Amino acid sequence: MAVSVAAKARDVVGQNVHKVDGPALVCGKPLFTLDMDVPGALVGKILHSPHAHAMIEAIDTSAAEAIPGVACILHFGNVPRIPHTTAGQGWPEPSPYDTVLFDRKVRYVGDRVAAVAATSEEAADEALRKIRVEYKVLPAVLSVDEALAPGAPVIHDEPDAEGIYDAQRNIAAAVDIPVGDVDRALAESPVTAEATCEIPYLQHTPIEPHCVIAYFDEDGRLVIRTSTQVPFHVRRIVARVLALPMSRIRVVKPRIGGGFGAKQEIILEPVAGALALRTGRPVRIAYTREEEFVASRTRHPMRVTVKLGAGRDGTLRAIDMEALSNTGAYGTHSLTVLSNVGSKTLPLYNKARHLRFHGKAVYTNLPVAGAYRGYGATQGYFALEVAMDILAEKLGLDPLELRQRNHIRVGETSPIFEKIGEGREGKAQIVRSCALPECLRIGAERIGWKRNRGRRRREGPWAYGVGMACAMQGSGITGIDMGAATIVMNEDGSFRLLVGATDLGTGSDTVLAQIAAEALGVSVDKVLVYSSDTDFTPFDVGAYASSTTYVSGLAVLKAAEDVRRQILDVAAAALEEAPEDLELSQGAVRSVRSGRAVTLADVGHRATYVVDQHQIAATASCVAPESPPPFAAFFCEVAVDTETGLVRVERFVAVADCGVAIHPKQAEGQLEGAVVQGIGHALYEEMLFSGRGRCVNPSFFDYKIPSALDVPEVEAILVPSEEPTGPFGAKSIAEVGINGPLPAISNAIYDAVGIRLTRAPFTPERVLSALRSRTG
Amino acid sequence: MRLTGVRRFHWARDVEEALSLLDAYHGRGALLAGGVDLGRSARTDLEGLIDIMGIGLSYVREEDGRLRIGTTTTLTEILEHPAARRYLHGALVEVLCRVAVPPLRNMATLGGAVVSAHPWADIPTALVALGAEARWEGEREEHALVEELYRQPFRAVFRRAVLTEIALPPWNGAFAFEKLSRSAGDIALLNAACGVGIQDGKIAWARVAVGATPARAERLTWLEEALQGEAPSDTLWRQVQEEVERRAKVGDDRRASAAWRRSVAGVVVRRAVARAAERAAR
Repeated sequence: MAVSVAAKARDVVGQNVHKVDGPALVCGKPLFTLDMDVPGALVGKILHSPHAHAMIEAIDTSAAEAIPGVACILHFGNVPRIPHTTAGQGWPEPSPYDTVLFDRKVRYVGDRVAAVAATSEEAADEALRKIRVEYKVLPAVLSVDEALAPGAPVIHDEPDAEGIYDAQRNIAAAVDIPVGDVDRALAESPVTAEATCEIPYLQHTPIEPHCVIAYFDEDGRLVIRTSTQVPFHVRRIVARVLALPMSRIRVVKPRIGGGFGAKQEIILEPVAGALALRTGRPVRIAYTREEEFVASRTRHPMRVTVKLGAGRDGTLRAIDMEALSNTGAYGTHSLTVLSNVGSKTLPLYNKARHLRFHGKAVYTNLPVAGAYRGYGATQGYFALEVAMDILAEKLGLDPLELRQRNHIRVGETSPIFEKIGEGREGKAQIVRSCALPECLRIGAERIGWKRNRGRRRREGPWAYGVGMACAMQGSGITGIDMGAATIVMNEDGSFRLLVGATDLGTGSDTVLAQIAAEALGVSVDKVLVYSSDTDFTPFDVGAYASSTTYVSGLAVLKAAEDVRRQILDVAAAALEEAPEDLELSQGAVRSVRSGRAVTLADVGHRATYVVDQHQIAATASCVAPESPPPFAAFFCEVAVDTETGLVRVERFVAVADCGVAIHPKQAEGQLEGAVVQGIGHALYEEMLFSGRGRCVNPSFFDYKIPSALDVPEVEAILVPSEEPTGPFGAKSIAEVGINGPLPAISNAIYDAVGIRLTRAPFTPERVLSALRSRTG
Repeated sequence: MRLTGVRRFHWARDVEEALSLLDAYHGRGALLAGGVDLGRSARTDLEGLIDIMGIGLSYVREEDGRLRIGTTTTLTEILEHPAARRYLHGALVEVLCRVAVPPLRNMATLGGAVVSAHPWADIPTALVALGAEARWEGEREEHALVEELYRQPFRAVFRRAVLTEIALPPWNGAFAFEKLSRSAGDIALLNAACGVGIQDGKIAWARVAVGATPARAERLTWLEEALQGEAPSDTLWRQVQEEVERRAKVGDDRRASAAWRRSVAGVVVRRAVARAAERAAR
């Protein structure tokens, strides 16, 4: 539900219009990557390493190549070695170049050994079985502590890697940002609190696994149709890895079945491209669910320690946050996820003057971590918000009040904005919109905070408690994220909106159409959205960092305003009036002086066929001017079975300020979906590994995510604010919702039974063990 | 790709045809009912699949106080059938509505659950406790208690036979089912099905089966005997919990440790027995 305020009356923005792709989706039209049948396409498959750490001594593909239908086998011996990163990020790329298409060394169970293209699945499978690989198995590093131990095996000893912080010590990236004197401030603080929280390997589990089709168009250019969040980064990185001019590559992004960050990675595209280049034939590759678990990407497992120092009145004086991040076998997003642990959390409590954020991202011989909704902030907030709960108890303060005393407000800033950016320094900014006070008030009211907290209500073995947490995120990456949009007017008065922005199921096509429609005075059905195709749409960094509504939305707004000016010029000529006297709304241009009007169809027709013929069109770009944080308050009620350790989330209330919600229903959906994903993190999800580094639960049979039967009553409430820098006052909503559930649920368990759960997930076994050790 | 060797698919019209087709494949054929387990199977040796959903084994009947269920009846069909809902005041329904998720219950058959007999499954635990009888046709018609069936090499039996019916006996008392799992649709970390009959305020008989230990369900006959003649009371239930915790045979798997299973085995048995006794006393 949206809390209504006296917002500016708008025709399209703020309305729950039909999703522009809704009808095609619900009718099951062939929209997704693999829905297109490319005649003669070969099936591509990947041979994954069975060892966590090994050198390939020899590889013999002769038996596999002899199988009828096998067209090509690629491995380290027959492709060029080009170090790169698989992270689809801006330029310069902040992740180390520690990956090659196929390497002589394999670094985790699931690492790429070879790729096969064959005329059938069966032939490809048989070829995988018949590739003979001799491995020299190396000692494996299966935890961050082992990786950092003196004398640990070096995972990246290849000489051509670039950008690794300290390869000899298995450190992919490191950060140390002090503000003031945190040690002294902590020592001098009358009250301190500390929490160390841990998040395990978690997978994004998008409904559509990674998949791609690579083929050649009539001009012999390589077309890559792929399920990606970052089509333009795919083009850049594939060009590098395949040593092709970028102009010879076209990347097409159809509808995407979810990504959550896993598809901010360039994984299958260069393999499919290489197989297509080698065979001259189309190639399709689709990951199985098992491959999606072990050989795509995961959230960075992390151990975060937060130390807080406060005055007796509850004013924070110091925050020390230390993160130890496991980036797995490759360092994709290692530095930037690590940086975000601090940069997206510490500004929330800007009353603390002394801050330090320090940490390391460490290589291990385990699956590769990458971008995942929340991007480090989720890990940071788990520890920060549990520590805040501990501090509140020590101070004898209501945790709600502790947050209210310390959170950032409109007109305020934090030194962290400037100190920590995207793999480099950030940009100073002040907070221009913040409805967190209202979010906290409404959330507390909805959950019955005063009434239910500290009551330790019991029903038989079930103990009930409530908990809360706060969070913020950003809206794009300041000064780095660029999105562009082109708007072209058709002669019937409709518009084509071409955006590089990438709707991965979030509804951004609809949001961008609404922004254009609002500015152009038409209904959404007059805006035909096309996203994203590197041949036809202008550049956009893609869908990540909560950027699309804000950054791409601003670009759309600028382009629409330009087109609007052009329309008024044509209309002015037609009406023989001055453009200043004209206004555009409801599909027509009217003179405020004479009352005379021309329809947009008249304008389009006139410009196309009649007088002063020209194409009404504009392209505009936007570089994120700032990164206004969305804010959220999370409240939940849990029930703990004190005899078995089972935890049930009974109710969840998430209240967010995303500025003006362009499409409130979609924004609520983002918030609600993130909360459900967070409940999965808190209660069920964990990739488990054997003693040799093999994931033992790579399927939904064993790795549980919440189903409809598990989801409690979730109230997703939007509290509007007006972000002055955003399009029609909008900020982001995509990620902020994932940051709260872990600490809120942990804090609620504490309220219910007095134990601190600091290691996710909170399984019955862990909860019962904590209950037992407390009672002795 | 799974079941890649399958070349022929048959729709059997009756049990006899299913058996003769099965026989003709000499071990390279398999009966297909709901397909939940066969669909996940990685077997590459199978050449023929014999669909048995149309051989007349989808039914639920009440006969002489017994509930007879054809083995191709899906869990959803059982859950919706009035006779199954009535059986032991909903004891069977209480179990089945905790098995997997509705889309899987639309596929899964009772016979499939009995034959697959996953150690973590809920249905075998319930059937063992309820004293259910299985009937099958191979070279001849045979029957045995499900509990006894599981003591035999039953998988070999059903490579050459069609399980036709599960019959649940009447009980003068009540049952209750308890299951601990991570998410709602998940398999059990531990389950227990318990039944109690009350006469003159004392326990006349008791049935206790614990499954997913992580081994397949077994009856705790020592507990059943010990309960006879006892009067239900909180003290008794506490003793039940303590004794089960002390004596339960439990083990580790990656879902849960033996230590946790030991702690909670007593709890789930106590809860199930106490609830059954409460129902029986009504």
